[in-house]
Amino acid sequence: MKGIAISYAVVAALIAGGALLLGEGALRFATECLLILAMAQMWNLLAGYAGLVSFGHQVFVGIGAYGLFRISDALDLSPYWALPIAPLACAVVAAVIALPLFRLREAYFSIAMWVFSEIVAALVTKTSWLGGSAGLPLKSSRLLDLDWFEPVLFWIAGGLALGTIGGLFLLMRSGFGLGLMSVRDNDLAAMSVGVDVQRNRFIVFVLSAAGCGFAGAVSFLGNLYVSPAAAFDVNWVVYMMFIVMIGGIGTLEGPIIGTVVFFGLRELITDQLGYSAGWYLVALGTVAVIVMLWSPRGLWPPLRDRFGLKLLGVGRTAPTPPDLPPLAGKAGQLG
Amino acid sequence: MTLLEVNHLNVFHGDLQAIFGLAFSVAEREAVALVGANGAGKTTFLRALVGLIDSKQGRVRFDGSDIQDTPAEHIARLGLGMVPEGRMLFDTLTVEENLLMGQVSRRSGAWTLRRVFDLFPALEERRNHLPRQLSGGQQQMVAIGRALMCNPRLLLCDEISLGLAPVMVEQIYGAFEDIRKEGTALVLVEQDVKRAASASDRIYCLLKGRVSLTANAGDVSVTELTQAYFGM
Amino acid sequence: MAWIETLVNGALLGGLYGLLGIGLALVFGVMRLVNIAHGEFMVLAAYLAVILVGLFPQVHPLFVLIPVVIAAFAVGYLYQALIMNRVARAPDPLAPLLLTFGVSIVLRNLMVEVFGADVRGLQLGELSRASIKLFGLSIGVMPLLTLIAAVLLFLLLQWAVKRTVFGRIVRATADRRDIVRLFGVKPDLVYNYVMGLSLALGAIGGVLLAVRSSFTPFSGVERLLIAFEVVVLGGIGSFWGALLGGIVLGMAQLAGLKWDANAGLLYAHLLFFVVLLIRPAGLVASRA
Repeated sequence: MKGIAISYAVVAALIAGGALLLGEGALRFATECLLILAMAQMWNLLAGYAGLVSFGHQVFVGIGAYGLFRISDALDLSPYWALPIAPLACAVVAAVIALPLFRLREAYFSIAMWVFSEIVAALVTKTSWLGGSAGLPLKSSRLLDLDWFEPVLFWIAGGLALGTIGGLFLLMRSGFGLGLMSVRDNDLAAMSVGVDVQRNRFIVFVLSAAGCGFAGAVSFLGNLYVSPAAAFDVNWVVYMMFIVMIGGIGTLEGPIIGTVVFFGLRELITDQLGYSAGWYLVALGTVAVIVMLWSPRGLWPPLRDRFGLKLLGVGRTAPTPPDLPPLAGKAGQLG
Repeated sequence: MTLLEVNHLNVFHGDLQAIFGLAFSVAEREAVALVGANGAGKTTFLRALVGLIDSKQGRVRFDGSDIQDTPAEHIARLGLGMVPEGRMLFDTLTVEENLLMGQVSRRSGAWTLRRVFDLFPALEERRNHLPRQLSGGQQQMVAIGRALMCNPRLLLCDEISLGLAPVMVEQIYGAFEDIRKEGTALVLVEQDVKRAASASDRIYCLLKGRVSLTANAGDVSVTELTQAYFGM
Repeated sequence: MAWIETLVNGALLGGLYGLLGIGLALVFGVMRLVNIAHGEFMVLAAYLAVILVGLFPQVHPLFVLIPVVIAAFAVGYLYQALIMNRVARAPDPLAPLLLTFGVSIVLRNLMVEVFGADVRGLQLGELSRASIKLFGLSIGVMPLLTLIAAVLLFLLLQWAVKRTVFGRIVRATADRRDIVRLFGVKPDLVYNYVMGLSLALGAIGGVLLAVRSSFTPFSGVERLLIAFEVVVLGGIGSFWGALLGGIVLGMAQLAGLKWDANAGLLYAHLLFFVVLLIRPAGLVASRA
């Protein structure tokens, strides 16, 4: 525990300092990495810990971004202060659709989320006060100090990434987390010992949506522009999924590894080798497929098991039984 | 003539070993009872024989060939059949369609649809019913008939009498006489020792994955059997 | 009167939608697998058709259905044999879902790189635009032929599943994939054939849809969502339900477009969502 707390503090310090030391290009890249990591952790929370695979999480990226832009413009509020709207709006939406969607299981839930995302995207495209298909510029951007823009975004992104990882770590070690993992593994059994499956799933779903929305808002804030095609692009959830799949679903370390692979691959294929983004996605998809075939739990669990690593493990070991004297008499010889 | 011979069989469920160094044999046309308490490993043993369990070591020889590494689909074609525990009928197929599945392995022999219906007339009346519309005993008849349609040389029967009324059990065990007349050897797995023993030539008793007793059916007393059954 | 015409044409469109869904339903019914890449395979079939039509302009375009369907069957067989059979056995329902999603991404972006992102379509000339007057309504000829083809295919499929030995084996494997091995059946082999059949049916739908409207490599998503909605609306496990679901969806789609010309699939999606809320089991009560 102490080691984790120390490394956490170190990373936080790095993020605080890095903003001042890194150049603009590097800051943008790092911000992007941190935001995608945060989104992946949120998707991982839902899929790996609550067992719900969502193919529609891009809807929260979009709702978060649009929420930020609209409120910030409408209230003429600095976008930094308007940011909390993003997770809030997503939490509300998630809470509302959870009711009907939770009746669906597995693949049906997954695709229904996707349909929901398409519906929202279509509605936004048709709504003029949301900018229609052209999108919205961030008018309140004039309230921003552009010198500090990149560093502040980097800090926010860093805070979000650390916050999600730290928050998930604490959550999973709590009683709630234990209940959650029991639901993921066997929801009938969990119910039979009194775990409120629906309530747990609901909370996780809302948290996952909120986190995603926050990350989405920050991402589009960085662009100073949002459009429906970009905000509700299914590739958001593709990235989240692939990072989690490759890294290791249901672990906290997995998405970190997955994010490294994701960006490493991208830099390699588009920068170094000069291929287009399309080929990058082909490569990403191929890696994901290969990993799913050879190591369905992702890259982290075999690494962890092989080298006995225990970075952010949230597992619990069974208590060692106390030493009791053997029972006297014949009964002691059974079994 | 030994039809089935098992030597040094170990069977595993994941990391857990369920069968330990088992030796077992069935001669042609013989009926062998395999008894034991719940969890002794009887079903595991049968499933391993028939190829449904892969993690095993040891030797299984059927009709002259080694089958311990043979896939289940092929073992069926060699003439080793099973009536699985819990019947395991095909729920969306009718009675007749369930029976006809036995023909897929394309073994010829005495058992045709006509003969199975003669053996179990109740099934002919219900040939177009679905399994869920049948009583437990009738479902068991379908399960047996389906296995018979493969014309097996050895039929493994896993807990045929489980959950059935005594009258039904009588009727089904009565059918076994006809089945044996056609030359099929039987392995009868039961928790009901008396029932199994009365229909067999030899008995094996299984306890925690090991053979605790093996004898001719007539040569063993109730006390000995009980002791071997419960491990006392 | 115009509204009735819209609804009738919607019902005809439903035939096509039913075709899109039936392949997905088949795979789910037998293997409990939702093939997320189903849409991309349909688009791939459409591209193959366009290429073949380009190579053999003297042949009537609809005849390319024959080689395309055969190719689709082969691709499906290999897809299942080489990739999907490795995860079909895993007790984890997540793995096949994620895997097929991965395959869909690979296919989609490969198609972009190889074929380009521009819009394509399959031209049938006169036939695409022809319409006849039936009971005072103007009915498209292609949509009518498509519905008839869909019904015929459904009848053929039903006959194959209910009355042939192959169909019986498929149903038994779907019921109990372990036990069926006791009767000499190789479940993996059955799955290969079923996936082949699924992609073949999808190819027919994909090609016919390409006649009706244009497509890009990104059209797979639309097709998957429609196929999925058709299956769920119709009730999981019901073939004719898929056709009925398709008809309802088709009507909603065209009615929506009439009212709101740029809506795309919005009204179909909305109908699906609403039905899902009221009747999660679908329009046709599925068998247990």
